[in-house]
Amino acid sequence: MKKMQKFLTSFTVPVLSILLAFVIGAVIMLLLGANPGEAFKYLFVGAFGSTANIGTTLTKATPLIFTALCACFAYKCGVFNLGGEGQFIIGSVATFYVAYCSGVTGFFGIILSLLAGTLAGGLWGWIPGILKITRGQNEMIISIMLNYVATLFMGVVYTNWLRDASVPQTMPVPDALKLPRVFAGMRFSWAFVIAVFVGLALYYVLYWTSGGFKLRAVGLNMTASRFNGFPVKRYILTSFVISGAIAGLGGGAELLGTQFRLINGFGAGYGFDGVAIALIGQLHPIATVVVALFFAALRTGSTTMQAASGVPTSVSDIIQALVIVFSVAGMALIKLPEFEVFRLRLFGKRKEADKS
Amino acid sequence: MIWVSNLLLATVRMAVPLLFIALAELYSERAGMVNIGLEGLAAIGSLVGFLVCFITGSTWLGILCGALAGIAVNMIYAFATITLCADHTVYGMAINIFAPALASFIYRVYFGAGSELSQITLMRGVAIPVLKDIPFVGELLFNQTPMVYLAIALVIFTCIFFNRTRAGLNYRSVGEHPKAAATLGIPVVGIKYLSCVLCGALAGIGGAYLTTCYANTYTEGNVAGRGFIALAAVIFGRWSGGGILVACLFFGFCDALQIRLQVGSFGVPYQFFQMIPYIATIAALSMLGAKKGGPLANGKPYRREER
Repeated sequence: MKKMQKFLTSFTVPVLSILLAFVIGAVIMLLLGANPGEAFKYLFVGAFGSTANIGTTLTKATPLIFTALCACFAYKCGVFNLGGEGQFIIGSVATFYVAYCSGVTGFFGIILSLLAGTLAGGLWGWIPGILKITRGQNEMIISIMLNYVATLFMGVVYTNWLRDASVPQTMPVPDALKLPRVFAGMRFSWAFVIAVFVGLALYYVLYWTSGGFKLRAVGLNMTASRFNGFPVKRYILTSFVISGAIAGLGGGAELLGTQFRLINGFGAGYGFDGVAIALIGQLHPIATVVVALFFAALRTGSTTMQAASGVPTSVSDIIQALVIVFSVAGMALIKLPEFEVFRLRLFGKRKEADKS
Repeated sequence: MIWVSNLLLATVRMAVPLLFIALAELYSERAGMVNIGLEGLAAIGSLVGFLVCFITGSTWLGILCGALAGIAVNMIYAFATITLCADHTVYGMAINIFAPALASFIYRVYFGAGSELSQITLMRGVAIPVLKDIPFVGELLFNQTPMVYLAIALVIFTCIFFNRTRAGLNYRSVGEHPKAAATLGIPVVGIKYLSCVLCGALAGIGGAYLTTCYANTYTEGNVAGRGFIALAAVIFGRWSGGGILVACLFFGFCDALQIRLQVGSFGVPYQFFQMIPYIATIAALSMLGAKKGGPLANGKPYRREER
């Protein structure tokens, strides 16, 4: 009973936050002189209206799933990895180098390129991890600074080293190395399948293995874990490396599956979006995947919404931002003792009403 | 020589927004509120500052409204973290996602999808008579925009306030040991809210400086990590006004240096120069080592009933 209740409350907060965010979104639309009902209809149609649209939604969800899982895994171990974006970008750069320059083709080539991306992302995540455990540094600041370094480094690659003639972008990756689509008619590629698989794998590791249990224990109470003899520092470093590797793999998969070339704006914003998604998903890998799909649906639908009803796409950005603002506050609210008293009073009253 | 004096001039100009944002964090953390949402607060301050200045033509009004916008957004953070006891870091992150989205939304709704660049006139410099005639230093410190003087005055005020006044010590005690402070009759929750007002205002001013005194237009992402560099500056400056001034000048110098080096180019891709401030931040923090500093109850929720 108690477990069931806990399960339900963990759903209530995000769902209520989403509803509240949509209500405010509707008010904004009214203020802009649009019809919210109409706009939300187009939002839905744009995201799920046809198989092609669903394919686009899944494609847009893919990078978000990766960066969200990246944030989720690190936070499960009690460290805040805000460097998802940098790790994502460095992963895509490494993938691009191997795909473009190594000359290996076919299935093996894809595996090798993605592996390079994963390793590069892991390395980029290792830097804040090692600085945290050896120098006691604030991992948030370090990982954010590395985001900017990674973005600028990618800039060097596409404006200088591997520039496509006069255009500031790289050549596309060879056709043989592009990730194939899962179904011929839909846009989404195997990258999405990899993303969901990573999500399931993380769920298994975190909740069904002893290593995952210890990692979560470190995240919940570092001091207690240290007194229990867990190698806390090693867990922190490992979680950073794995978290970075997930983002790096995501960058590689996005490159081979969707974008094909490095260009200005590649991966921009995915890191923070990932953190938001992981927090709304309450750091549960599977919930995180679901929330990422929801965010992607909002993004895909908003273009149709703009075209059909004139409501700018940035309204959907506002809705996404409001969801995070509300859900984090809501989760804090239900933990307050006052809220428990309030809930019991409500609950108690209902029981009395049933009796009479 | 001109190259050097230009570099130092640019250093002061680049350090000022950092200084405002870092002082915002100092006032916040001295009351035990770790606010990593500075980037977002500066973003909204930057947009509102620009917009108001664009409409009214007054830079001062722009900066004032930037500060008000920063306060308004930071009140969400204050309510969630002080009253609802949400995790400071998590909520700061929420602000970092919310505020820039709000800023770009307002910008797009107001200016439409058009790509034409709207510009404003920057705040003019005001020379201080006599002092500006001191060779070298005069040009550097006494022939600037009033915002530079304001920043310097704020640093001096901060040093005196936190070390020499009773009010300042009371304020600090909230960040060190809120329960002890409460037993002495200090209004802990009130001071925490006050710290959030100050933090929002200063971060908003820092953001507004970027559009009204530095670049004359607003672009998305114009804060460019300054909120996080300012966080580093507070750690680097050991939570003291003077230390923060030195740290901000250092980071401002790195920023100025990279712009100067880009002009020189030397055949190196310009992005490598742009990395300098970020790498300098990492290097500075790493050299500092793991010494724990800062207010003791930093980032901890405070509940009156709790034992």
